Amino acid sequence: MPNIDRRDFLKLVGAGGVSVGAGFMLREANKDATEYLIPHVVAPEDFSSGLATWYNSVCSMCPAGCGISVRTREGLAKKIEGNPAHPVNQGGLCSLGQAGLQVLYNPDRLTGPLKQTSARGSGSFEQITWDEGLDQLGSRLDLLRAARRGNRVAMLTQGVRGHLAQLFDNFMRQLGSQRLLHYDFNHPHTLYAANQRFFGQDRLPYYDLHNTRMLLSFGADYLTNWISPVHHSLGFGESRQGSSNERGRFIQIEPRMSASGAAADEWLAAKPGTEGILALALANHIVSEGNYAGADRADWAVALTDYTPAKAAEQTGIPQSTITRLADSFIDIQPSLAIGGGAAANHSNGVDTLMAVNVLNYLAGNIGQEGGLLLNPEPTSVVSQQQQASYSTLLEFAEAARQGEIDVLILNGSNPVFTLPQASEFREALASIPLVVSLSSFLDETTAMADLILPSHTYLESWGDDFPEPGMGFPVGAVSQPVVSPLYNTRATGDIILALARQMNVGTALPWENMEECIKDGWRQIYERGDAQTLAQGFDSFWTSVLRAGVWGETAAGDSEFTLDRSVISNIGVQAPEFSGSEEDFPFILHPYLSPNFYDGRGANLPWMQERPDPMTSVVYGSWVEMNPSTAKELDLIEGDLVDIQSLHGTVRAPVYLYPAIMPNVVAMPIGQGHQEFGRYAKDRGVNPIEILSPEIEPITGQLASSATRVNIVPTGRRSKLVKTSGTSRDLGREIVQFADVNGVELSSAGSNSIPITEVTA
Amino acid sequence: MSLFSRFMDGWRKYRKPGYYDEFDYHWTMAIDLDKCTGCQACMTACQAENNIPIVGEEELARGREIQWIRVERYWEGEYPNAKLSFIPIMCQHCDSAPCETVCPVSATYHNQDGLNTQIYNRCIGTRSCAVYCPYEVRYFNYYDHHWDSPLEQQLNPDVTVRGKGVMEKCTFCIQRIREAKDHAKDDGRRRVQDGEVQPACVQTCPSKALVFGDRKDSENEVSVAINDPRKYRVLDELNTDSSVFYLKKVDA
Amino acid sequence: MVAETNNLGYTDIHEDVVRSIVKTGPKYYIALATAGGTTLLCFFFPWFYQLYYGIGAAGMNHPGVWGTYLASFIFWIGLSHSGTLLSCVLHLTNSSWRKAMYRSAEAMTLFSLVVAATYVMVHVGRPWFIHWALPYPNQMELWPNFRSPLMFDVMAITTYITGSTIFIYMGSIPDFAAVRDRTSGWRNTMYTLLSLGWRGTDKEWHRLHWAYTFLAVLIIPLAVSVHSIVSWDFAMSIVPALHQTIFAPYFVVGAIYSGTAGIVTVMFVLRKYMGFERYITKLHFDNLGKLLLVLSLLWTYINAVELFTSWYSGTSEEYEAVGFKLFGFYAPLYWEMILFCAVAPLLMFSTRFRTSFMPMLILSIVINIGMYTERFLIIATSLPRQYLPDAWGVYVPSAVEVSIMVGSFALFTTLFLVFVKIFPSVSMYEVKETMATPKLGSVAPASGSPA
Ligand code: SF4
Ligand code: SF4
Ligand code: SF4
Ligand code: SF4
Ligand code: SF4
Repeated sequence: MPNIDRRDFLKLVGAGGVSVGAGFMLREANKDATEYLIPHVVAPEDFSSGLATWYNSVCSMCPAGCGISVRTREGLAKKIEGNPAHPVNQGGLCSLGQAGLQVLYNPDRLTGPLKQTSARGSGSFEQITWDEGLDQLGSRLDLLRAARRGNRVAMLTQGVRGHLAQLFDNFMRQLGSQRLLHYDFNHPHTLYAANQRFFGQDRLPYYDLHNTRMLLSFGADYLTNWISPVHHSLGFGESRQGSSNERGRFIQIEPRMSASGAAADEWLAAKPGTEGILALALANHIVSEGNYAGADRADWAVALTDYTPAKAAEQTGIPQSTITRLADSFIDIQPSLAIGGGAAANHSNGVDTLMAVNVLNYLAGNIGQEGGLLLNPEPTSVVSQQQQASYSTLLEFAEAARQGEIDVLILNGSNPVFTLPQASEFREALASIPLVVSLSSFLDETTAMADLILPSHTYLESWGDDFPEPGMGFPVGAVSQPVVSPLYNTRATGDIILALARQMNVGTALPWENMEECIKDGWRQIYERGDAQTLAQGFDSFWTSVLRAGVWGETAAGDSEFTLDRSVISNIGVQAPEFSGSEEDFPFILHPYLSPNFYDGRGANLPWMQERPDPMTSVVYGSWVEMNPSTAKELDLIEGDLVDIQSLHGTVRAPVYLYPAIMPNVVAMPIGQGHQEFGRYAKDRGVNPIEILSPEIEPITGQLASSATRVNIVPTGRRSKLVKTSGTSRDLGREIVQFADVNGVELSSAGSNSIPITEVTA
Repeated sequence: MSLFSRFMDGWRKYRKPGYYDEFDYHWTMAIDLDKCTGCQACMTACQAENNIPIVGEEELARGREIQWIRVERYWEGEYPNAKLSFIPIMCQHCDSAPCETVCPVSATYHNQDGLNTQIYNRCIGTRSCAVYCPYEVRYFNYYDHHWDSPLEQQLNPDVTVRGKGVMEKCTFCIQRIREAKDHAKDDGRRRVQDGEVQPACVQTCPSKALVFGDRKDSENEVSVAINDPRKYRVLDELNTDSSVFYLKKVDA
Repeated sequence: MVAETNNLGYTDIHEDVVRSIVKTGPKYYIALATAGGTTLLCFFFPWFYQLYYGIGAAGMNHPGVWGTYLASFIFWIGLSHSGTLLSCVLHLTNSSWRKAMYRSAEAMTLFSLVVAATYVMVHVGRPWFIHWALPYPNQMELWPNFRSPLMFDVMAITTYITGSTIFIYMGSIPDFAAVRDRTSGWRNTMYTLLSLGWRGTDKEWHRLHWAYTFLAVLIIPLAVSVHSIVSWDFAMSIVPALHQTIFAPYFVVGAIYSGTAGIVTVMFVLRKYMGFERYITKLHFDNLGKLLLVLSLLWTYINAVELFTSWYSGTSEEYEAVGFKLFGFYAPLYWEMILFCAVAPLLMFSTRFRTSFMPMLILSIVINIGMYTERFLIIATSLPRQYLPDAWGVYVPSAVEVSIMVGSFALFTTLFLVFVKIFPSVSMYEVKETMATPKLGSVAPASGSPA
């Protein structure tokens, strides 16, 4: 028997206990995160173990507004799928939409209110409570409002729609401020303006890709980022191999092949900015060949005299024979449709170019035709559409800030420090604003400059609604509901606004307790405008069915008859584009395009998207500059060589990628990388070509002419490894992708189970 | 049956990778290349559904990506006549799968639904299946993967998280097939109906280029699709007898 | 018969060999410590790191899923070849020059196999489950897949290891007995056990010869099959450049080739450092040199045939594979291999070259460097470039892999150093068989002598 007395025994037991405890805690601390798959000990009431619950909501990753169904298990969101009942996407989702879960569960989310403690941009924040934060902002706002200096408050938000937009309007009005700015880098101002001038409508028409047999796209990358990519992809698939009996033909005109260019049957590169001239040359040929028989034929002939195919061939670089062939098939193959966007719309002549595209649709009789362009009826129930601010408006705002006219700036989701060129000096202008408040969920470049951060929920945690624009030919609305309970000490944007309203003592004008009530109240009004049948079911059951379906559609309005105002015709014409920088010093035109993975950069903090190869180049995790192999040869560059891309307004450095389908005098760069903030996945990765864009604008809309920058390419003599997943993208005669001859192909209807574009009712 | 014919029968089955004379279901994918836009939504959907880790830039630079489905791109011609085609490649669920015969421990085998299954628990990581698979759709876990918290909360509880040293690949979303079968059973139905199973990639495909189903029923959408005159199979000359059919891109 | 051994007595042989076992100088310990230390540092340490981290510690990727581990595996299996195989062949053909060298040659086989088997563990992703590749009844009712060439491999190699072990052991029994009679203490106990009570009766000698010859006959086809089967790990796939009917003979020839070169290396070392100058002579080098020359010509021929058929096929896959091998990323290594394995060995047409020790040593090492390169290239040029060009990649070995490769040579050396202290590394009784009948007075004790 060893000599252990009672005290030793107790000591040993004590020590042993502590060690076991410590060991256990050490083990727990080291546990793999995946061991916490089911973290709830006390289950929330709405989940039953092992059973998935689906919630319908709305994707907020881009402005298209696709409907989603989120699969949840044990109170956690597991998978986002397309809502098959939503007419915009009919079950489909794009890559970015799929990755929405990584917004929700992003490790770099802001978890609660923060206050900047030292100089702005220093990145030192301290945690505060919501009461403190709301008080700090609310009292300031209240003072300004009371002093009738509400206009010294500005709100800069990413484009929002539906009742949240209405709430913002209302709030700013109560405050007495006209400075509510919705800003998205990619907003198609020129498209709105051209359509406004041509059709007299502030809405976008519905482009019926589903039924078209011939699509002529002037620069619009409709499959990746133009207006509603999932809907267009559906239309593309349907037109290609749908139930109809003729395979749709797709032609893409752009200086650098986009995904839509790859999908097209024919890809043509017109000189950048001359797309409108090309369109008018087609129009000229249509009219001169007698293929247009409208009453205003003579007017057109006059308006188009300058745009002969011969002349246009010279200006655009597209052979005359191609121009006449395109013009003929645009008439012969019916229904046909011309669309314009992307780089073509981002030149100094953007509006005119898109007008020219409308001319083609007009002359070919595509307006109001199935398979053409359908004018959306005035929505009866859709709540306020946002008024997007253009680049010029933001410059004006920055100037006002510099003049000391702004006391408070409230930022919501918008990240202008990243999406505006350095030449705008926006970041510098922020310094003149005494109080900058951000409602972002992430510490993006602009939020990093804020004094106060009141982080909002992500879209998967909040109530909201959306009315996609353009409509589907009939008004559509969808409710976005929280699919999980909030992860952190954040609040819904709407709730923050409502709380501020209460602080400012304007609560009576914004009487809702929270956003859910506000939405419900809004939908009660929609319900009350409904037909007898809708009213008969009672609001509660209407509301439940809307939530269950996730989407609601109004009865289609009758086609509005369209007549063209003759004054439009005489104003048709496209000037040569203007570029910043001389051709001698800056021999290349920079073609910046939205990355298919990151949209305007907002997807860069999602690890799935960082690791998704760029579809065209297979590059991951970085930036690159695309150039024609012949150009590279001239400059003695090979893939991976680092070059400086210099414009009049700055320089960025990126490795070269030899891109087989880009004009020799054009270099292209994807937008989306190059974040200086925005979390661990985005930060310090690649470069942001927006930085070096010249502040050239399209004069009618004030939109940034983002394709109008000339650059010089300066080899640095250094190399970097371009990380890509692709080995050799040539099939070496192995027939991996096989081709069928278009003649003799029977169309398959497999997969064309998409719902027809008719009304959907909850 | 005589002893000899029993032996010969056994031998024939032994030689046939799947062992089966007839499958219960014959799950099949049809991919219309004339519709595929190369958008890669299918890749993200698959990654989300099947707990596919991200490996990080450094590992990607070393060629360690894990993509159960990948969209390959092939250029043809030179500027200005350059053309680009996309082709999604996932496990082709070959009925005569070279990967199955080579696995020394039968960690990959054919099941009675015509699926090429992968048993992670059984795999010892020889990687020979990846060598033998001509489609190169098998991806190896070169180390234990990590999810930055709270990203792991997204992980699909119906799908295993794979540890280091095991091989993985597209399963045709077998968890969804199982679920559909369970539902069919619960409903007292005998068979899963057409359209009831949609793998994650098929569900999301914006242009509806992907069709999935049981080809045993000739009425099913996928059966119609694979009888299209445009149908072909990639590397068909290798006699893998794959279950993924492609519809040729139309050259206009 | 053999000129240089003529002036030796039986006792000299015993003394030399037993001395090599019993007398251990500081040089030996230094060598053992160096080899053992290197094994730990370069082989086991990186391997344990890899076990902890995952196979990602090596350079393998997608689609280059195999790399140096498998190349080393084939290399060691190949090296194992000439020992036992050559010994058997020479035994059956009664080539008496074999007798001085075959013991160490067989040991080489054994240890190469041990290193190769260890490489299997290093190669697989989850070596802790490696036993699942063995057919044993278990509660999970699981069984390995006998259709897999890898399983053929497991079977073949296990059989070969077993056969070789028995073969070398059986051949050593009389020598164990001889050592037993000349040692005391723990060595005596050990050799008593090892010699299985050998007394050297006629009956025992007769049975030994009979069984030895029987095993020799058995092992020859086994050795050939082992490397054929190793080749099938590759050839049974449908990877362009691997899916080749010529692979089995190619691997067998390659194996014997590198194995024979290995023997030359080992013999040089034994001769020089164990003081066996009198037993391992120019004759051995001359004969082995002739054999090596023939093998090198065969090897060159097969390589040429392989290239020709690939080129002739005209398919993009084979064509690209050949092109990549000859002119691609690893082309310098390819031409190094050709220089080392096809060109340099032509020197052996010269008798003077064959009978010069140092040049033969250098050549034998050069050949094996070339043969290692060959194995590496088989993997590194084929897997990363298969049917789908978009999936192509490049495989480059990592530091861990290189270290383990270096360490495996140290492991081999360590094992060999231990061997020479346990086994009589020259077969005493067989050497004696080649000698002139001894004069009276120098008769060795009966137990160790031929009947
Ligand atoms: S297009 Fe993609 S990102 Fe945009 S709303 Fe639809 S799914 Fe979301
Ligand atoms: S989601 Fe569909 S269209 Fe997009 S890449 Fe995949 S298969 Fe092609
Ligand atoms: S595609 Fe590859 S992994 Fe899939 S079944 Fe065929 S051989 Fe096996
Ligand atoms: S890696 Fe796994 S599945 Fe593949 S062959 Fe080896 S043990 Fe089988
Ligand atoms: S079927 Fe499922 S596992 Fe296979 S690629 Fe599609 S989503 Fe991934």
